[in-house]
Amino acid sequence: MNRTLKVGLVFVLPILVYFLIFFIYPIISLFQNAFTNNAGTFTLANFQFMLRDRVLQISLTNTAYYYIGSLLIEYSLGFIVAVILYNYTGKLTTVFRTIIILPLMVSPVVIGLMWLLLFNQTYGPIDYFLKLLGLPAINWLGNPGWAMPALIIANGWEYSPFVFLIIYAGLQMVPPQLYEAASIDGLNRFQTFRYITLPSIRGPMIIAFLLNSIGILKGFDLVYVLTNGGPGYATYILSFYEYVVGFTYFQTHYAAALAILYLVIVGVFVFAMLKLTGAEKYLGVERIKE
Amino acid sequence: MKIKLTTVVVLILLVLASLVYIFPIYWTLVTALKTSLEIFTYPPIFFPTKIDLGNFYQPGNVFGAVSQTAIGSVPWMINSTIVAIFATLISTFLIAAPASYALVRYIKSVWLARLILFMTMIPEAVFMVPFFLIVIKLNILNTWWALIITYISFTAPFATWLLMGFFNDIPKSVEEAAQIDGLSPYQIFYRISLPLIMPGVVAAIILNFISCWNELLYALILTYSPFPSGAQTVPVFLTSFIIVEKSFAWGGLAAAGVFTMLPTIILGIIAQKYLARGLTLGAVKG
Amino acid sequence: MSEVVLENVTKKFGKLTVLDGVNLKINAREFFVLLGPSGSGKTTLLRLIAGLEEITSGSIYIGGKKVNDLPPKERNIAMVFQNYALYPHMTVYDNIALPLKIKNYGEEKIKEKIKTIAETLHIEDILQKKPSQISGGQQQRVALARALVRDPAVFLLDEPLSNLDAKLRVEARAFLKSLQKEVGITTVFVTHDQSEAMALATTIAVLNKGVIKQVGDPYELYTKPMDIFTAGFIGSPAMNMIPGKLIKEGSSWKFLSDDFSLDLSGMKFDNETETILGIRPEHIVIANDQGLNAKIKNVEPMGAVTYLEIKVGNTELTAQYTGLVKLEAGMDVKIRFVEDKMLFYDKKTEKLINY
Repeated sequence: MNRTLKVGLVFVLPILVYFLIFFIYPIISLFQNAFTNNAGTFTLANFQFMLRDRVLQISLTNTAYYYIGSLLIEYSLGFIVAVILYNYTGKLTTVFRTIIILPLMVSPVVIGLMWLLLFNQTYGPIDYFLKLLGLPAINWLGNPGWAMPALIIANGWEYSPFVFLIIYAGLQMVPPQLYEAASIDGLNRFQTFRYITLPSIRGPMIIAFLLNSIGILKGFDLVYVLTNGGPGYATYILSFYEYVVGFTYFQTHYAAALAILYLVIVGVFVFAMLKLTGAEKYLGVERIKE
Repeated sequence: MKIKLTTVVVLILLVLASLVYIFPIYWTLVTALKTSLEIFTYPPIFFPTKIDLGNFYQPGNVFGAVSQTAIGSVPWMINSTIVAIFATLISTFLIAAPASYALVRYIKSVWLARLILFMTMIPEAVFMVPFFLIVIKLNILNTWWALIITYISFTAPFATWLLMGFFNDIPKSVEEAAQIDGLSPYQIFYRISLPLIMPGVVAAIILNFISCWNELLYALILTYSPFPSGAQTVPVFLTSFIIVEKSFAWGGLAAAGVFTMLPTIILGIIAQKYLARGLTLGAVKG
Repeated sequence: MSEVVLENVTKKFGKLTVLDGVNLKINAREFFVLLGPSGSGKTTLLRLIAGLEEITSGSIYIGGKKVNDLPPKERNIAMVFQNYALYPHMTVYDNIALPLKIKNYGEEKIKEKIKTIAETLHIEDILQKKPSQISGGQQQRVALARALVRDPAVFLLDEPLSNLDAKLRVEARAFLKSLQKEVGITTVFVTHDQSEAMALATTIAVLNKGVIKQVGDPYELYTKPMDIFTAGFIGSPAMNMIPGKLIKEGSSWKFLSDDFSLDLSGMKFDNETETILGIRPEHIVIANDQGLNAKIKNVEPMGAVTYLEIKVGNTELTAQYTGLVKLEAGMDVKIRFVEDKMLFYDKKTEKLINY
């Protein structure tokens, strides 16, 4: 037993050392910074300010808005496309799949750029299509009410392929004999989907939900490029606000407090999500015990 | 789902989906190739009549402003490449692979696995202030090392988690045979187990490379000038380009965008099978 | 030199005792078979000798040296796993060479040794192939080569023949036996197949539920199984077991079962006890003159012999018949048990009473 542990420790040392320096120490540093002011004295001012901070409140609501909107689009779009491709029986499957996951390979910065061009009110194709349909042109990036939807659309485009990949892979792992048995038992297509397919892809569905959620909550790049938080504060999300506070206003202490808030929110969210969905076993954690 | 939709309907829907996913890329590509005249017109032109490659290498003269070019992004590209390669290789081979192997074969602690999983879920923004302070303290601001060590914070946990599933699939008897053949545990890891999971390693490397290449936040904070004086990477270059040139040099902008996304798209397409397997293996196989 | 001694070896996994106080002596150059059903602990025992599991209590000696705390590579043993465990990413040559490389043998010496062993095992022409490209039988020989190339003191095999199809298995069995004789290496072989054990072993140790039931050569185990488990496990078809009582009538003994009584006047016993009578199918004689009344329920002609399922009252027995008369189901016959082949086991202790 002892030699096993010793070897294991050697292997795990690099990541533990890194963990200590770049995870534990930063968290301590965050707490140190959040509870002090520039003079170095202990203070709760940062957290007190948090409660009154209007911009923070806006950021939090925006983040929720961003999360729910993005999740809805990404999850449903990704899911539907996966089901469609799954039903395709031709030879171009790989071609379609490659095209569908192209957005995943493009950097969020470039995606921001792309959608800047697309959303342009005068020269962009999107408003052009709207006008063709008889709808008024939308000032996507100038109108505070439309900025967040623009962001959500761009984000949806970028990450729905991620959900697609997971669900599609899950669908492919359903044993065909199940469908054969179902057809012998006389199930029609909707019943088959409801009683056979859906339960079989429960794992991937949960994983897609979890990873997608986390991906959205981590977002920063797209906001920075496409709207830079604007117009006004319309697209300020928590990560962006923290950046502004820390590196535009150089309020290191308040930024640290915000970082802690961010960490707590994500931590609680992840924990709740894992417990509620029981996603852990699908993520390979339990397999370790073997 | 064996819905008996006719193949045609499915095909139509697929083509529609493909259009949705490819159109923005197409539009950017087309904009990069258009002349300024054709960019700034209404209604927008979908099929340009003239192809102008100038956006890629000639500083344009648009409404009197001189714009950047795609080729101009090379100094930043050098930084991006170096940082991505080093961060990926160091985190995958030196940190993630051993840790993952230890988790699966030696320290079978579910809590450690949970910790690793949790580390993959922490947003970059949480650490931006402390990392900045550490980088200042180590006096490596605006250097490759600043980015490399901070990038490890997301590449290592991810690679560790990804490789766990692959290591688990190695039959124990192969490693026991090696044990009997006289190999030490380190030799077994290096000569037997690691080579056996090469597909997983390749997937991890490619995915990590792409995320390093595309990373914005830390580069934004920790660097301020391009090669050779500094370590600024392409995403930062692009964003400054965008913010400054937003209203004008769309051609050059689009060209820069195309130039930037080409490497990752090509990488992604070549490694498509690894990518799909890598992204979903741990997730789906569970 | 290369004998293996197990002294009071016990192995527990948590609360579960898998091996309980095992004592064994395996002589040099022996083909020693550990025989038992699944879950009997035979594979665990093998792995303890190999050093792949740690012993809970007791001692193991290889070549006179105590090896309890030594890792596998220091025990001078070699092992062939059930699934061969070849290194999939290396060629056959590299698979066999690896243990030698680790020991820092030179290129030339490695080449020499591999050439010799490849000839012995007839794998010269697949040396550059990868494991996935060769057949099961070839994989097995590669696994054997990898093990033997190191000239180990002890050779351990964990059910190496179970992955082969029936025909290959018989061939491999013969090959393995002659190979072992030729190389002369102490071999410990694990199997659940008693016919395999009988065919290959110089000595067999029968295990059940972590305990050694009997150790002996195949002939011994077949003709004089000392306990009920061994009696029932060795031999196919299995020995018939008839419960009953030994009683003394005057000066002679009788065996009384539910369905019949047997006169045992020539035999001597110590006490009247509940016993189980064991009699092998080939020792049940079908005659028409005198004996117990039996009815034939089923006839299985195997060519050289015929197996009969017969019933004496409510007792079901299997008998082996090599006579010329064609027997059919439903017929009435008379049967007798060959007297000196009857084995009596004490019902409580499960041990052989008469010998």
